[in-house]
Amino acid sequence: MAIIARKQAVQQGANVREQLRQMDDSGVVTAFLGGEERAFSELVDRYQTRLLNFIYRTIGDREKAEDLVQEVFIRVYRHLHRFDRSKKFSTWAYTIASNLAKNELRNRSRNPLVLFQTVQKNWQEDDRPLQFEDSTSRPDDMYRKRHLREIVEESVAKLPEHHRNVFILRELEGKSYEEIAEITDCNLGTVKSRLNRARNSFAEIVAPYMD
Amino acid sequence: MDCREFHESHLAFVDDTLAGVELVRMQMHLNECDACSRHDATIRRSLMLFRNLPRIEPSADFSKKLEMKLREVKLAEAAGNHRSNFGFKAGVTIASAVMLAYIGISLRQVDTPQDIVLPPVVATATTSEISTGGPGPEMIAAAPAGIPIWTAALFAEQTPSHFASIQLVSSTR
Repeated sequence: MAIIARKQAVQQGANVREQLRQMDDSGVVTAFLGGEERAFSELVDRYQTRLLNFIYRTIGDREKAEDLVQEVFIRVYRHLHRFDRSKKFSTWAYTIASNLAKNELRNRSRNPLVLFQTVQKNWQEDDRPLQFEDSTSRPDDMYRKRHLREIVEESVAKLPEHHRNVFILRELEGKSYEEIAEITDCNLGTVKSRLNRARNSFAEIVAPYMD
Repeated sequence: MDCREFHESHLAFVDDTLAGVELVRMQMHLNECDACSRHDATIRRSLMLFRNLPRIEPSADFSKKLEMKLREVKLAEAAGNHRSNFGFKAGVTIASAVMLAYIGISLRQVDTPQDIVLPPVVATATTSEISTGGPGPEMIAAAPAGIPIWTAALFAEQTPSHFASIQLVSSTR
């Protein structure tokens, strides 16, 4: 009897998760505010990788980026009831992430012992994402690709913080100008100008290594 | 289209948000200008490199860590709610006690008779207009002139009488 009840509960749980998966963000948020705790896990599943990449590319420290993503979710959990549901959840989540990343960079600039490049160079080999490389390539090709990837990462790091932020939101996360303006609390003109400058600067830094 | 105009519209050109006519003008300029064509190619290639950077995945213990942190938050919130409930109840009790004490004091004050304090009455009168009540100037003038007393008294009756004007002055002034 107990086993049947447990099986039914598990089945019911799976159904709820499946229903949540079908919903858009707004529906999931509504479900969570209506007392469905599993809806929060759905939000985490949807955004953890995206937010991690966004913060990681902004601050350049994987471990710290994970901590900050966790902080984003904790803030979301605590303040979701105050979230203006006429707006997009993703914009709100990215705004929190952007502010946390900005604070982290500010704190780091006060403590110059930790630098972006230093953090990246201190990676263990295992931590390095290898997808940029093709295992079927010849060793010199692999070296060239890895070298190029490092150069690209360093070039992003060289961009001024407010340019980098806009650049990552647009090029990596595919956000619209309007969304970026909301996330970074800038007007549309500033976003376009920063993005244009960031693209030009980035291309200028990377260009010598591309040929 | 000149190169300056091309550079100004390049952001929208790369993002493919230009209107049809503008798009054609940009493409025509690209075919004509080597420098702008190179610039366009460099930007697009560099962006492609950036967009193809490998995406990182959360570590294996990410969910477990987050779950633990969330549990702490929930516990802290529950404790906070308990504390705030206790605080609310204590506040209500204190407020009730204060209110009861105030009502009690007010009722006692109503029972005890009190002296009514009225504002002082101040009477003022202009000295020139005050009637002394004695013989008027007409009568005084008539006596040595030999005018009979009854006519003088008649005059005196006809003279206007003036009384002191009384004015109440509030004590609050």
